[in-house]
Amino acid sequence: MKQHPLCTDIEHGPTILDLPIDSGLKHEWAELQTRRHFLGRAGKVMGWAALASLGSGEALMGLARESQQRSAPLPSPETLRLPNFAPKAQRAIYLFMSGGPPQMDLFDYKPKLAALFDTDMPDSVRGAQRLTGMSSGQSRFPIAPSHWGFKQYGKQGAWISDLLPYTGKMADDIAIIRSTNTDAINHEPAIMLMNTGNMNTGKPCLGSWLSYGLGSMNNNLPTFMVMMTKKNEEENNQPTSSRLWSSGFLSSEHAGVSLRSAGDPVLYLNNPQGVDSAVRRKMLDAVSEINRQTYEELGDPETHSRIAQYEMAYRMQTSVPELTDLSKEPKTTWDLYGPEARVPGTFAYNCLMARRMAERGVRFTQIYKRGWDVHTHAVGLLPMLCGETDRGAYALVTDLKQRGLLDDTLVVWSGEFGRTVYSQGGITKEDYGRDHHPRCFTTWMAGGGTKPGITFGETDDFSYNVVKDSVPVRDFNATILHCLGIDHNKLTFKAQGLDQKLTGTTPAKVVDELLL
Amino acid sequence: MLVSAIVFLLLALPWTFAPDGQTHASWQQFLGRFHPLAVHLPIGLLLLVPVLEIGGRIRPSLREAAGFVLGCAAICSIGAVVLGILLAHGGGFAKEAVRGHMWAGLILTIAVITCTLLRSSWITGQSSFLYPVVLLAVLALTAWTGHQGGALTYGKTYLTEFAPTFIKQLGPHKTYPSVDPVSVYVTRIQPILDSNCITCHSGAKVKGGLQLDTYAHLMDGGSSDEDIVASHPEKSLLFTRITLPTDHPKLMPSEGKPPLTPKDIAWIRAWIQQGASPSSTTLVGMELKPAHTDDPIPQVGDYSGLTSQIEQIESTLGIKLDRVSARAADGLVLRTIGVSQKFSDADLAKLEPFAPYIVDAELGHTRVTDNSFAILAKMSHLRAIHLEETPIDGRNLKQLTSLSELRYLNLSSTKVTKQALNDITPLKTLQHIYTYNTPAAPVPVP
Repeated sequence: MKQHPLCTDIEHGPTILDLPIDSGLKHEWAELQTRRHFLGRAGKVMGWAALASLGSGEALMGLARESQQRSAPLPSPETLRLPNFAPKAQRAIYLFMSGGPPQMDLFDYKPKLAALFDTDMPDSVRGAQRLTGMSSGQSRFPIAPSHWGFKQYGKQGAWISDLLPYTGKMADDIAIIRSTNTDAINHEPAIMLMNTGNMNTGKPCLGSWLSYGLGSMNNNLPTFMVMMTKKNEEENNQPTSSRLWSSGFLSSEHAGVSLRSAGDPVLYLNNPQGVDSAVRRKMLDAVSEINRQTYEELGDPETHSRIAQYEMAYRMQTSVPELTDLSKEPKTTWDLYGPEARVPGTFAYNCLMARRMAERGVRFTQIYKRGWDVHTHAVGLLPMLCGETDRGAYALVTDLKQRGLLDDTLVVWSGEFGRTVYSQGGITKEDYGRDHHPRCFTTWMAGGGTKPGITFGETDDFSYNVVKDSVPVRDFNATILHCLGIDHNKLTFKAQGLDQKLTGTTPAKVVDELLL
Repeated sequence: MLVSAIVFLLLALPWTFAPDGQTHASWQQFLGRFHPLAVHLPIGLLLLVPVLEIGGRIRPSLREAAGFVLGCAAICSIGAVVLGILLAHGGGFAKEAVRGHMWAGLILTIAVITCTLLRSSWITGQSSFLYPVVLLAVLALTAWTGHQGGALTYGKTYLTEFAPTFIKQLGPHKTYPSVDPVSVYVTRIQPILDSNCITCHSGAKVKGGLQLDTYAHLMDGGSSDEDIVASHPEKSLLFTRITLPTDHPKLMPSEGKPPLTPKDIAWIRAWIQQGASPSSTTLVGMELKPAHTDDPIPQVGDYSGLTSQIEQIESTLGIKLDRVSARAADGLVLRTIGVSQKFSDADLAKLEPFAPYIVDAELGHTRVTDNSFAILAKMSHLRAIHLEETPIDGRNLKQLTSLSELRYLNLSSTKVTKQALNDITPLKTLQHIYTYNTPAAPVPVP
């Protein structure tokens, strides 16, 4: 980022002096710089010096110390007065279908499209929308009806694709939202918007906001945990990164802790050979003491986070092995989740882990499943993707329900956007591809105070535009926060001169129709 | 003759320009607002008089000056009083609020004039004690009047707000009847204040000297005193300020925050109208349906006095007693998951002092046994009990039948039997009971 020449903050990155320009110019610049710095600083220094000589120096130092101490306590659930009201959900589990699942192949049933196979989509539907670079060059936009049939499930008679037979079985436990829509058309901004309420990086994500606002229920495990599902090489795996569970401008204590999908779930958690628990404890005490001294000297709140993280890691040495030990799971568990759940890193395994985390008081668990980015060969890829995720999601909701945890656990299933009804890169009887589509996509929620067994929102005949009950991302997130007892306008943090919040500056509203 | 005319005119002022709570011509306000400024001149001069009189014993020239200064003080006092009455009249002050200060100021001015007259006879040695006595009275009256004026501007608590406790205890403080946790005030009025007012009117921010976080603070009012006048919403400043036109600069909530809804205003009006009581549980003309019709949350009592004990037990046992929500009356959640491996009946027994405030007991995965039901039964406001994966078999379940608010009971993965479950059939409020993976579980349909 280019720095304003008048800005006196410490500079990072290349400066004028690093540029390949005439050394005379550099010299002149340096002189100007130092003079400006001198004058800028001198004003403040003189003021302080005068003040110091007025009162006694000691008093002034005391004042400085006091102001430092006063600024030290960071906002906590106690001072934030959260939850704002008695919550229905104590915790949430977020199944993130990264890449953008095609809504018209899974939930948004459009039987009329079958007759329009390979015909051009009317221009009026798309309007003036700008497409991605991947399909904007296409000469025509041939309609690709879903390759799969749909059936009605549950008392609500929800239309669900034959790709998702297990999801169909829990149709009466979930609230299907067909009218979710976003502002972003590409993965990175869209996935950031879903997670942080803003397309730009640097904002805290949902889990961090919850950790900051509601705090921990179990000090032995992180408040916010993330699990990546093992990559399937045959699928189109667009990248994800730790930005998605970053705490942004919130203290880094609130960042998500991600479990690895293979090997040790957390690296370097075990004591090295020859170091026993007592030695480790002694070492940590010493490190903490040094950190505390640093904090007293510099007053940087990140030092506190560092201390907290060391302590958390120490407690996780016992709590994580207990969490990941599946030996005591009864046979019914494996019947429900399927044999895949025995393999660490699969979606089913992660769903089982999410249930175990819910039982152990983890506030927010997020599971990422990549590969939904079906630009080409959707007919081949979707059965694979649904096969990997359908049963796990069903097992998780059903398991939570039978164990009495669904009453106070919110489960969310969502991608970052939907996919186009027209085929990307040609269409045949056997196959098609679908491009990114922000104007509508389908998500679902279950438990935690949401209304079970409903389908909400409608799209037009092409599953292209929302025609009824639009749920933009900010309303989606406001509703999630509401389930957890939070008024989205009240969970704020002052950064960059703004009371920042998850739902951003555009007014958002809780979707009451989704709530019990 | 001239003097009595001036005194007569001064005394006529309160009737000509009576403060009636309305704002008047802007020139009156313009001049009137100089009152707080101008008033310090006669005060300074009056304080100088005794200094000069005493100093005059050593240097007689000072005593000569005293007469002149006193004369100036008399003229300035008259000016200050006139400005003050213009302010009271023009600035829309309520009669009750300024009455004391106004009359004190008038009497003070007349006393200063009297003082000036008496001094001439005192100088000649005719009345030896009258002048000093009246002068002392003038000084005392100055202090009293000045204090009243200050209280009008800065609020009654301005001086004492940050005083050490031992000083505070000296002063009179109003006592209010105690607040009933199920009263209209707690269930309807305070929530409105909580969600609309307290960001600026509680804790560190106390705008206008007004705090709205508790009943006592609400009734104490702020700088302008009568914040709530029981039975008179129209005289209550709080009510006036929330019902001003939307473009009025004094409308509350201020700074672009959304105004209160007509419904909220109706509640506040009805509550003040019917006595602004902290304990009344009904309001004539208002339907007392709770905000969330589907799920009324029974309120627990006030546990604020137990805060330090709560913190202590949390650290000794490693448990958490979290507030359900920002509203304390929603109760506490007991979380034991962090220490579930060692949490036992004995630990649960230690929580007895907090029993009436716990609404959700999360005891899953702990070592508590059937003996714990005796203590759970004392948690009279329990709405949810988690006992999944505990060694209980349910033999004492019938002890829970006294829990009239219990809605959720989780007995999954325990040894609870069907017979044991029959014991809690009298619990009509129970909506969810989970017996997954127990002998009592229904045989799953294949």
